[in-house]
Parts: sequence; structure tokens; C-alpha cells
Amino acid sequence: MTDPRTIRIVIVDDHHMFRTGVRAELTTLAATPRAGAFTLEIAGEAGAVESAVKVITEQRPDVVLLDVHLPGGDGHGGADVIRACAGVQSGADVPVRFLALSVSDAAEDVIAVIRAGARGYVTKTISAEELLTAIGRVADGDAVFSPRLAGFVLDAFGATAGEVAEIDEELDRLSAREREVMRLIARGYQYKEVAKELFISVKTVETHVSSVLRKLQLSSRHELTAWAMGRRLL
Amino acid sequence: MVALARRVGQDGTVQTAYENGTGPARPAWRATPRPPLVRQRQGKVIAGVAAGLAEHLGVPVVAVRVVLVLTSIPFGAGLVVYVFLWATMREVGDVDPAVASIPTLSPAPGAPLADPATAGGGTTPTTGSTVRTQHHVDLAAMRTWLRSGNQAVVITLLGVAALAVAGALWLGGAGLDVHAELILPVVAIVIGAIFFWSQLDDTDAIGARRPVRWIWLVVGLGLTILGLVGLLVRGTKLTELWQVAGAVLAALVGVAVLSAPWILRLWSNLRLEQAARIRATERADIAAHLHDSVLKTLALIQRQSGDAATVARLARAQERQLRSYLYDEDARAGTLGAALTAAMGEVEDLHGVPVQLVVTGDRPMDEHLDALVKAVREATWNAVRHASPPVSAYVEVGPDAVEAFVRDHGAGFDLDTVPDDRAGVRESIIGRMERHGGSARIRRRADGTEVELRLPVRQPHEPEAAATTPAPPGAPAAPAAPGTTPSTTTGSTPDPETQEQAS
Repeated sequence: MTDPRTIRIVIVDDHHMFRTGVRAELTTLAATPRAGAFTLEIAGEAGAVESAVKVITEQRPDVVLLDVHLPGGDGHGGADVIRACAGVQSGADVPVRFLALSVSDAAEDVIAVIRAGARGYVTKTISAEELLTAIGRVADGDAVFSPRLAGFVLDAFGATAGEVAEIDEELDRLSAREREVMRLIARGYQYKEVAKELFISVKTVETHVSSVLRKLQLSSRHELTAWAMGRRLL
Repeated sequence: MVALARRVGQDGTVQTAYENGTGPARPAWRATPRPPLVRQRQGKVIAGVAAGLAEHLGVPVVAVRVVLVLTSIPFGAGLVVYVFLWATMREVGDVDPAVASIPTLSPAPGAPLADPATAGGGTTPTTGSTVRTQHHVDLAAMRTWLRSGNQAVVITLLGVAALAVAGALWLGGAGLDVHAELILPVVAIVIGAIFFWSQLDDTDAIGARRPVRWIWLVVGLGLTILGLVGLLVRGTKLTELWQVAGAVLAALVGVAVLSAPWILRLWSNLRLEQAARIRATERADIAAHLHDSVLKTLALIQRQSGDAATVARLARAQERQLRSYLYDEDARAGTLGAALTAAMGEVEDLHGVPVQLVVTGDRPMDEHLDALVKAVREATWNAVRHASPPVSAYVEVGPDAVEAFVRDHGAGFDLDTVPDDRAGVRESIIGRMERHGGSARIRRRADGTEVELRLPVRQPHEPEAAATTPAPPGAPAAPAAPGTTPSTTTGSTPDPETQEQAS
């Protein structure tokens, strides 16, 4: 606690009002002392695909808060930014992490940015505290799922219909444990509540969520590739 | 003719009720404006010229056709008139098939006006031939064959054959030599061209294009080639037939190759224009929607800007409405997901507390699911009233049960301390679920309460219970229907944190 780390972020959103709001909320909140706190530095802002790529390449932030819908690029919004910034490393020599932030709950939007490489997805109605937690989590390389994204994952992997992977490495299905974790997240549980419910550690929950994220990005399940095909991402 | 005219009158009076301007044939003595002279898409044989003319003049279409065929005999005057009108008359705009079907063509009173075959194939359901064959044994088969699109061939062939015979007789009668070898190829070319043109003509209409019937294009092309070959081979030896056929084919291919780029460019221009038109229509739709909903809500918000709760409620309601418009949630009307969305919307509207709803899987509503939706609604209602946000509801449609979880972050409540006169939880949630074969339990957690509901269901593809349809003989006894299942699943997990509330 004596030497809290600093997380540098870039906010990408085409609405100036939204950027200002997030900046104000996060700065206020990050300044108040909290447990497990980190200092937040807002390194830059951008409102379109091209300017976002420029700012991210110059600033090399730890985390980018990325709107799903953005003007410019090839018309894929946030997914274009993620692809254009592939290989860009943050100051700590790890890849820049992206946290998608959107008002849209439409599955195709969410899946497009996640499959392009975002580490998480939250809706814009999220509270400032939760957003801060999510930023910290993504900066550590973990994944962040909103309840709705968890619900979509359960649907897309056929988990609600009873499809469960025999071995954890299977890409096209969730393991029984991953399914449990996703169900609890869909029910609105925080990670630590999930951990308590399943008698596992928070770190294990994070591992499961990251594993689901990997499957979501790499799986060739029809339900997932169909979304990507629809947006010409493959 | 008298009978026909009377039928026209009857149908005409019916038709006026739902069509303006382009109504059907009316008796000429009525002081009503004539329908515009446009080619009809419905009830046409070749290009809809006769049908349009009949409508415009207010006479039966059969009469127009007869006159056209008869006047074709001297020097083909009728044919020339037909082609001229075809080239100059506009085709009727987008018409609702139910409205546009032409009553004068109905084979008999009581026949369906908008015959599917007419709407799709563009042939009339009646002509003299169907009327004549009405009492034949194989009437039905004949009719289906006629309506399958072959009627155009029959009528055209009959018409042209009559024309040819009449023309030959007339020429013979006038003391001229009848050049059958000249007339037949020309007739073949004309028929082929008519087939070909009528198909291309169909594709011209922007927006409402019908698929090209390739068979007619091929038949038309074949007839034309045959006619050309016949014309050229006249007087030469039969051995040269193949040479001539080859030359004709080569000429046609050459023309096709030369004109292909031009036709392709025309085609792509047409497609671009169509796309632009569709985009413009969509934009107009969206603008209208935004004006009706979003702008009005914004105006309301400005007027009530002092009242934070109202503003929040208005904004949330508008957001929900806009979402359902954008993501086309009307498409899933009648499903559990739609019912839950509607129920949560109601709760939000009444209390202004946002509820996060996640539904995985979906299935059509039935009375048991309706009970589940009501129980979820009651639980959410309790949560927004007594607890603190965030309130989240998660409903999972599994293969053998629908599970619902409503979670809040309030202080929670102990069912034992709830007075008996408060029917909310005990009756509306637990009792309701049990009556429908499900179960409910309420868990108090460190930072809130969670209501868990479970309703066993059957697979959607399994046969419906005997309640709706008699079970097929030999079918295995269906697993107990939800309504009759004893609530064996009622919470049974021993859990220190769980309060069993099922009893």
C-alpha cells in the first residue's frame, strides 16, 4: 500500500460528454483511499478509430476503455482499434489491454470486440467503483464479464442446453466449473461472491473467466463464427 | 356478355370499398373518374396491356383480348397496337395483391380473388379455356397445370395459331400465294420474342422484382433461333441447315458479347439505385420513429427537469423502447424472454429502479411459464421496493427446467418475521410456483437476498401433453406434465446459508 502502482488509461468514445463524465468520475474515485487501491492516470482521449490508434501508440497505456461503436476505420468501430493496435505494448512491456464499454447489449457488437481481442466487456451503466475494479482486473491480464455477456456465453456455448466439455481444453464447450462460474456472474455475483459460493479462491474464479474468454476468442462454434462472419471479421 | 357485365358491376361495388382510383371496371354510365391507363401486374397473360386497357375502359378483359386478336387478322393491326401500348403504358405501381387482383377475371363468384398462383406467376386464373373445361373430370388437375404458369403458353399459342390460320385464309382468299415457309418462321420469331420480352419486362420493376423464369427465356430464345433459321434456310438445301443454324447462333452470340458490358452496367446502376432507395426509406422510417418517441421523451424530460426520479424513469423507459426497436424484439413476441422483458419493464416504470435482466435460451409461453413470469415479477417488485440496487434477474431455460434468480443488495428479510397478512412472498411467489409444479426458495446472503425459482418443463420438441392433443397410440407415457408433477424438486439441499421456505 505504501507504493501503489499506477495504471495509465486512455478513454476512447465518440461522445465528448461521456468521456468527460467518465474522466471526472474516475479521477474523483481514484483519489479517495480504498483497499487494494491503485493510482489512475488518464493518459489521453480519442473520439474516432484513427485518433485512438494514434493516441494509444504514442501513450502506450496499460488499459484502453474502448467504445464499441466508433466512427472511422473500416466501419467495425472498436474492433478496428484493437486490430490496428495489435503488438503495441504498454510501459510495463505487456500488451495494451482493452476493456470494451458500450451502451449496446447486442450480442454481435459484444462478440465482435471480444473476438478482436478485448479482455472484457461492461455496459456504460456500470457504477464508477465497479468500473475501477474492472480496470484493475483487466490491467492484471484478467477478464471482465458483464452479467449479460456471461448469459450470452452460456447461450452461445450451448451450456444451458446441457452441453459440457469432457476435458477443460475443449475450445467449443465450457467445462462444468466454467459453466457454474458463468451462471453466477449472469446472476449478478461479483467475483468474490462467486468464489465464496463455489468455495474456491478469487484467483481461481479469475482463471476460469480468463479461460472462458480464451474460448470465446478462439472457438469455432457456429454460434460465434456466425456473428463474426456477419460483420466480416474472419 | 350480360352475365359478365353484371358480375363486373357486383365486383366493382365491392372493390370500391378498398381501392382508390385504380379500382376495377365500372359501368361506363357511372359518373366516376376512369382508372388510369396502366399495365396490370395481376391477372396478366403477356404484359398486362389487355388487363389494363379493360380496367381503364370499364369493359371485360375477355372482350379486349378478343378484339385484339380479331383486329390482328388484317395486317396484324391489333398486334401493332398491343406492342405500341406495351411500350408506352406504365406498369402499375406496387400493389397489394389482395387489392390488385382483378375481379373481372374471377372464374365464378366465390372464387378466391387473390389466388397465390396469380400473385406469383402473373397469369390469370380464368380464360375461356378454364370456363370451358369447368365440368371435365380432371378439372382440378387441369387448373393446377394452367395456374402453374403454362397458361401463358396455351393462350399465346392458341392466339397465334388462330392468327396464322386467319392470316393464311385471308391471304388465300385475296388470291395471293400463301408462303407457309415465310409465315411460320415469322410467327415463331414473334412468339419467341414475346416470351423473352415478357420475362425481361418483369424484371424491370424496381423493388418488387419477381424471379426471372429461365425456362421462358430459354423457350423464347429457342423459338426465335428456330424462326431465324427457318427464315434463312428457306429455299436452300436441307444439308445447309446446320451451316445456317451455326451462323445464326454465331450472330446471336456476337450480339450478346458486344452488348454484355452495356447491359451489365445498366444492371449494376439499377442495383445501386435500388439500394439507395431502400436506404432512403429506412432512414425515413428511423427519422419518423425518433421523432415520435425520442424527441417527445426529451421534451418531457426538459419540462420535468426538476424531478430527478421522473427524469430517470422517463429516460429508462425510452431506452427500453429504443432498444426493442433497434434489436427488433418484436420478433420474439409470445416467448418467455419477451414476457420477462415486458414484466421487468413494468417494474422499472413503476419504481424507477433499473433491473438488469439476463435470459439465456428461450421457449414459447404457456400457463406454467406465465406463473413463473408473475413470480419473477413479484420477486423483483419486492426487491426494488424493499432492497437496494443493483437488482438483477437471471432466467435460464434449460432442457428440463426453467430456473430464475432474482437478486438484490438489501438487508434481506426473514420470512418467519413477515406477518401472515402479507401475502406477497408466501402466496405470490412460493405458493404460485408450487401450484405449477415448481419450487421456490429464498436465500439470505451477506449483502442481499436471492430468490430462486425452478419450474420443470418438457423439451419443446416432445409431444404436447394429452391436454391439447390425444397422445398417439404406442407413444411412451409422457413424463408428468408440469402442472401435475408433485413438487419433488422443492428445495432439498442442506445449506447452512439457506432458509428452506418451501413448506
